[in-house]
Amino acid sequence: MAQHPQHQQWLKLTEKQMKGRPTSELEWLTPEGIRIKPLYTAEDLEGLESVNTLPGLAPYLRGPMATMYTGRPWTIRQYAGFSTARESNDFYKKALAAGQKGLSVAFDLATHRGYDSDHPRVYGDIGKAGVAIDSVEDMKILFEGIPLNEMSVSMTMNGAVIPILAGYIVAAEEQGVDLAQLSGTIQNDILKEYLTRNTYIYPPGPSMRIVSDIMAYCSQHMPKYNTISISGYHMMEAGANSVLQTAFTMADGVEYVRAALKSGLDIDAFAPRLSFFFGIGMNFFMDIAMLRAARFLWHRLMQQFSPKDPRSSMLRTHCQTSGWSLTEQDPYNNIIRTTLEAMTAVLGGTQSLHTNSFDEAIGLPTDFSARIARNTQIIIQEESEVCHVIDPLGGSYYLESLTASIVNEAQKIIDEVEEMGGMAKAIESGMPKLRIEESATRKQARVDQGLDVIVGVNKYRLADEKIDFEIREVPASVRDEQIARIATIKASRDNAAVEKALTELTVAATGNGNLLAAALTAIRARATIGEVSTAMEQVFGRYVASSRCVAGAYSSEYREENTVIAAIRERANRFLELQGRRPRLLVTKMGQDGHDRGFKVVASAFADLGFDVDISPMFQTPEEVAKMAIENDVHVVGVSSLVAGHKTLIPALIEELKRAGGGEIIVVAGGIIPPGDYEALFQAGVQAVFGPGTPIPDSAARTLSLLEAKYLS
Amino acid sequence: MLKTPQEYVDGVLAGDRLLLARTITLIESALPAHQELARNIVEMLLPHTGKANRIGITGVPGAGKSTFIESFGSMLTEQGHRVAVLAVDPSSSRSGGSILGDKTRMARLAVDRQAFIRPSPSGGSLGGVARRTRESMLVCEAAGFDVIIIETVGVGQSETTVASMVDFFLVLMIAGGGDELQGIKKGVLEMADAIVINKADGDNRLRAELARKEYSNALHMLMPASANWTPPVLTCSALEESGIEEIWQRIGEHHRIMSECGEMAEKRATQALDWLSFLLDDGLRRWFQTTAEVVAHLPRLQEEVAAGKTTPTAAAATLLATLHGRDG
Repeated sequence: MAQHPQHQQWLKLTEKQMKGRPTSELEWLTPEGIRIKPLYTAEDLEGLESVNTLPGLAPYLRGPMATMYTGRPWTIRQYAGFSTARESNDFYKKALAAGQKGLSVAFDLATHRGYDSDHPRVYGDIGKAGVAIDSVEDMKILFEGIPLNEMSVSMTMNGAVIPILAGYIVAAEEQGVDLAQLSGTIQNDILKEYLTRNTYIYPPGPSMRIVSDIMAYCSQHMPKYNTISISGYHMMEAGANSVLQTAFTMADGVEYVRAALKSGLDIDAFAPRLSFFFGIGMNFFMDIAMLRAARFLWHRLMQQFSPKDPRSSMLRTHCQTSGWSLTEQDPYNNIIRTTLEAMTAVLGGTQSLHTNSFDEAIGLPTDFSARIARNTQIIIQEESEVCHVIDPLGGSYYLESLTASIVNEAQKIIDEVEEMGGMAKAIESGMPKLRIEESATRKQARVDQGLDVIVGVNKYRLADEKIDFEIREVPASVRDEQIARIATIKASRDNAAVEKALTELTVAATGNGNLLAAALTAIRARATIGEVSTAMEQVFGRYVASSRCVAGAYSSEYREENTVIAAIRERANRFLELQGRRPRLLVTKMGQDGHDRGFKVVASAFADLGFDVDISPMFQTPEEVAKMAIENDVHVVGVSSLVAGHKTLIPALIEELKRAGGGEIIVVAGGIIPPGDYEALFQAGVQAVFGPGTPIPDSAARTLSLLEAKYLS
Repeated sequence: MLKTPQEYVDGVLAGDRLLLARTITLIESALPAHQELARNIVEMLLPHTGKANRIGITGVPGAGKSTFIESFGSMLTEQGHRVAVLAVDPSSSRSGGSILGDKTRMARLAVDRQAFIRPSPSGGSLGGVARRTRESMLVCEAAGFDVIIIETVGVGQSETTVASMVDFFLVLMIAGGGDELQGIKKGVLEMADAIVINKADGDNRLRAELARKEYSNALHMLMPASANWTPPVLTCSALEESGIEEIWQRIGEHHRIMSECGEMAEKRATQALDWLSFLLDDGLRRWFQTTAEVVAHLPRLQEEVAAGKTTPTAAAATLLATLHGRDG
């Protein structure tokens, strides 16, 4: 088939309506580098391999199941957890009673990183970004009254996977449940932790072994359990566009398959239990196409391993709406954003979905905001009548063309990764991380210029922001409660048995024993999560990632020499003339919060604006940051905080700076900090707080004003 | 907010981290007042310098310099040494700003109380980097650091600059795809007191060993800079922390041999004289460029030379002649 017979007529009309402006102005180049035309026709579908397939059949582009939502809708699976196991358990039970179908556990950062709550490095992190779990006793409370043989439980855990999965298994055993009945998912996707988020414990080599050990154990004992959730979500949150998210997630998947094959497993023994996790952003059609493209690509990529079971090539996925797209400003808008993103995931054919609460750019979800988030999905499922047809957008000229474009663009990157020797090697080279950071920095520059609109942030901003809803806070007493429970457990257990089990685990780590099997014995004997992690750390070591930072990406996204940027550079130059050096800023993160997107983007952009920017390693204590600030003799320390550690850690940093003689160093803070906490931070000596959505030129200008007031007046 | 030179001197000698850092800031400052203060401080500290082992480290990008320094420095502090690391990071020519990320790659050493790490932006000229690094090194010595490691930017002439201020110049390499000598300048090999092939771990071990042999052969073709020292070619894995101890032993050996035969003192004396000559050249050039005659005539002469109206030789002669009249 050729061009539509009336195409020329349409073109003439279009030109007329453009009043002399070129029609190419109607085209849009997406951040993925895909050129979008104003109109798609049947012509665009010619020769596309991915068009006109059926659901439940290879290549599964239209869905892994033959009936999809017409048979059973997706699982409403809300990710939640905070404070103590007891409080989270109450929250879960209420949510299940209100229509939620599966559980998804969020752990706090101390748990992720394998530290017990009494460890000195984590005192600001307990119970903050998730529930604090120190032992199987906490795990049992977490699932009290929730029959684990019936409830599918997803656990977001990647670092401390061994003790946490062991804790879940032992909790089930002690509920009297047969392991073969356990269903759910453990995220267990360690590769992406090295790319984004950074909640790993061990170096990549031993971590990959842990992944394979879990697959091996579960393929034998827990046939209904998904042993990994290969996650693109965190890449998207770190700034990856949809092509990067697709490509790196697929490449991660291939790497896990190879690792499992290498450890001696048969492809069909584990591949049907691989599941995926995608992040869904605000580009409506792009991300519908992304999910379809990912299913097509996964089927294609799996053929190299010659699976016999069709389920081995089927991509099943969980989705979550974007946390990054939520704004602190005019936050009820987030309900609308989340609804759109949820529709995207549904039209893309997800198997389960989490919808974010509208207040998550400000604090932890409350009962109220969690209800709205859950009902968003229930209303789509039960009121909108979208579940009656499978892949309802299949055949759309635009969507099919876009799907094919994502397949092609992602395949190029996958090929590039393959040439480097696979994803583990590519990660070692730093390539994927730099691509994601570059994408994030460009996004930030587009937002700061208003090219990408965010309502209430860079357009239609409210003159007067008032928060008229409750914000959930985790009291500091959670840490005391956890510490007390650890003490009780240690006093009542058979310490000799624990010692013996831990030694055996260390021996297994040195040799080839299955780590999950060895850890189960220790957990049954009431070893803590921290003790089990440490037993392996003795052999594997604790990994510290080095960060690189893109240069020049921020300012290059500015179309012409922008006056805002020029003015800031001018001020930085003036500071240099009068003070003999450029304004020098240390950007840092403290506690176990490994979300480094904001901190990298800020570092890169401030350097582009004429600052000398020091970057600290992650996971620092206030004392360590103070040492660095003193040695590097910086003017300003900028603390990035995304998970509620700010109230304890930032005042502690200011104290440490004073103690080391650096009392005049200016401290500013940025990230997710509830407006209600600003006053307390100012009282503690913080001189500026930059909330989410602050354009970088604004924060740079305000930082310069502080410096000018102090040094140039 | 400035203190008297004596206050800085007392602070540095007492090992006060804050005042050591502030002194380096003064050394790095572009303000003449700061520079003069820094000169006084360095002058007063000079009797307390010279006791450290000065090590320069260079390498191609990706050779793992920072990871190497992390392992090497941590090993030294465990042995009781006090280690200072001076690292220069490139400044953007467009914005003038810089990203100083060295500490993220030296996370363990960065929090070590026995270590002091100071990343510095390269800022303006190479001459500026040379002066600042050299003086910062002296101040760290006076503060009691007995091993000073200088990491170079790894571009342009910086290798020569660093080699001319250290006792031991270590070139870090990685095994490539076969053409091992492609990426490295002959001049750099001639300056090396040791070549270390990093990342000799995992699948890479064999390739690193092959690269070691190739470099050894290449070094044999070169005339050693000293009759008393043949630069060894070693392998190590900064990641697995293997081979690091041997490198330190070789550096110690070099120090002992060169001190005993007198070459160390000679080298430092030569470096000091070279430094004097550099400072004179640099100072003369700067003075020359700011004299009234030059400021008045240079732009016009530059235009004429560019337009072919006069020759460079004649223009230079004219300018230099204007100076002969000064002070007789």
